[in-house]
Amino acid sequence: MTAETGSIYDLGYRRYEGPRLGRAHAIRSLFWHSLRSTWGIGRGARAKIAPIALAFLAAFPAVAILAAQALLRQFPGGEGFQRELPVRYETYASTIGIFVILFCAAQAPDLFGRDQRHKLLALYFARALRRTDYTLARIAGFMVAIFILQLLPQVLLFLGQVLLSTDVGKGFLDEAPSLARAAVQAIFTAGLLGGLSMAVSAFTPRRAYAVAGIIALFVIPTIVTGIVVGFGSEDLGRWLILLSPTSVLAGTNALVFDTTITSDGGIVPFIPAWAYVTAALLGTAGSILVAIRRFRGLSV
Amino acid sequence: MALISTRALTKRYGSHVTALDSLSLDVEPGIVGLVGSNGAGKSTLIKILLGLISPTSGEATVFDMDVRTRGTDIRQLVGYMPEHDCLPPDSTATDWVSHLALMSGLPRTAARERTAEVLRHVGLYEERYRAIGGYSTGMKQRVKLAQALVHDPKLLLLDEPTNGLDPAGRDEMLELVQRTGTEFGMAVIVASHLLGEIERVCSYLVAIEAGRLLRSAPLGTFTEGTGTLAVEVEDGSAGLVKRLAEQGFATATDGRAVLVALDGDRTYDAVRDAAVDLGLAVVRIEPRRHRLEDLFRDDPEGHAVPAASVAST
Repeated sequence: MTAETGSIYDLGYRRYEGPRLGRAHAIRSLFWHSLRSTWGIGRGARAKIAPIALAFLAAFPAVAILAAQALLRQFPGGEGFQRELPVRYETYASTIGIFVILFCAAQAPDLFGRDQRHKLLALYFARALRRTDYTLARIAGFMVAIFILQLLPQVLLFLGQVLLSTDVGKGFLDEAPSLARAAVQAIFTAGLLGGLSMAVSAFTPRRAYAVAGIIALFVIPTIVTGIVVGFGSEDLGRWLILLSPTSVLAGTNALVFDTTITSDGGIVPFIPAWAYVTAALLGTAGSILVAIRRFRGLSV
Repeated sequence: MALISTRALTKRYGSHVTALDSLSLDVEPGIVGLVGSNGAGKSTLIKILLGLISPTSGEATVFDMDVRTRGTDIRQLVGYMPEHDCLPPDSTATDWVSHLALMSGLPRTAARERTAEVLRHVGLYEERYRAIGGYSTGMKQRVKLAQALVHDPKLLLLDEPTNGLDPAGRDEMLELVQRTGTEFGMAVIVASHLLGEIERVCSYLVAIEAGRLLRSAPLGTFTEGTGTLAVEVEDGSAGLVKRLAEQGFATATDGRAVLVALDGDRTYDAVRDAAVDLGLAVVRIEPRRHRLEDLFRDDPEGHAVPAASVAST
């Protein structure tokens, strides 16, 4: 021990007589901590690079289209472009889907993985909250972070559309329902992708394994079911598509925006819309339960 | 009020490993040493008290609250310093300790204030805004102690607090533990496999071995006289044994020493007379004291023969 750090300053220890807010306060605090950490807030500069970069990429289509719109309004015939916007709410989720997946893979292991890697769980579990409280607060914080990632660009799009429209009040009323639908779809996405990636990262302290696992879980089923469904596009085989998280979300998106499901997103018709919604909800609930079980049984 | 009370507390892992074996124990407030070799069950006991693991059978209470049902209540009153590393290297000491203060239910501003105070108490005030990854082992141990103290617990559970520290660091940590316990009246349980450390800070000792209670008593009683007199002579100890046995004294030998059951001044007189009669050169005559180490000796017949077995010779 060096001289500067070797001495103990005896300035006294004081008792704490103030309020103790208990378990609910601990859960709330952990929720906020998870949400902030996922965005790199309260952490070093390096922890901010991935989430901020991916957020910029996710917002890029919205910003680009608004810039193009604003520019083209200066020229005659620019209004035609307005009616044929290539970036719309109903396709936004799938446009930025890859960034949401990368965000999940990059950030989910920072919560559960980091706590296991540095053996922090013993200190959490020795405090006011219970193991399940810990698990739920962490997952909820992460899901809200995903929700923000997906919806924020569409809020920008919404604000842009309203401000660029000739009648702001009418523009607001025209656009608001679409934004609400986008919010519902963002809830499905945050629940399913957020839940699954947290469930995967609950099982390993190793960041690399968790990242690989999350990406594999989102990409491989899509490829496999795509092949199977492509071959035997009759009856039962078609339902296999529900094993692919991204396809399930494409399905809920179609329901939310009341569009027909096309094969563009790898979606096969003839599966009822409720099946996609059920699959999304089951996937969300299932991954939360898996994570809870994992942390209940983990010895610290 | 008993601080900690256990009744037939047992913890098994699978069918082969028994970490705690029907342990019954009552601990009063104070600085209590929990000694035992590695694997004796010290950490298991601490984790059960915290509700981190559940016992296989038996009862345990902390502040008269059952560890099975009132874990959350207990944990708000207890500070825990684990044996292993438990610090995020990318966090600063301030961020990490105040985060854990929130986890213990302290309001945000109180958490900040308490963190600053407690880090100063453990001597980390200057370095508190640096990332923990760059800390020395001694500084990390202080952060671990700080997080255990930040919510001002009524009971502090320290699992091998001097782990990995150099001698100077050990001294400072022990002094810190002792000051925390004595000056602020906080109950402290220090688990350690190093008797020398425990001896220095604790007033009460609980010794466990292979999950069983060896002894639980105030520190002083561990080093009481054994009721045995050790006599060392240059040559002819066999003759001395013979002579004393003839006079009805229970004797035994331990290396070069002749052990005689102590029966007042009569014993000293008999030893003196025998030595004079046999013309022996006496090196030393002293009453045997228990040593703390005797508790854990593999072979209890070896060095210090307990009074009972001497008497039965």
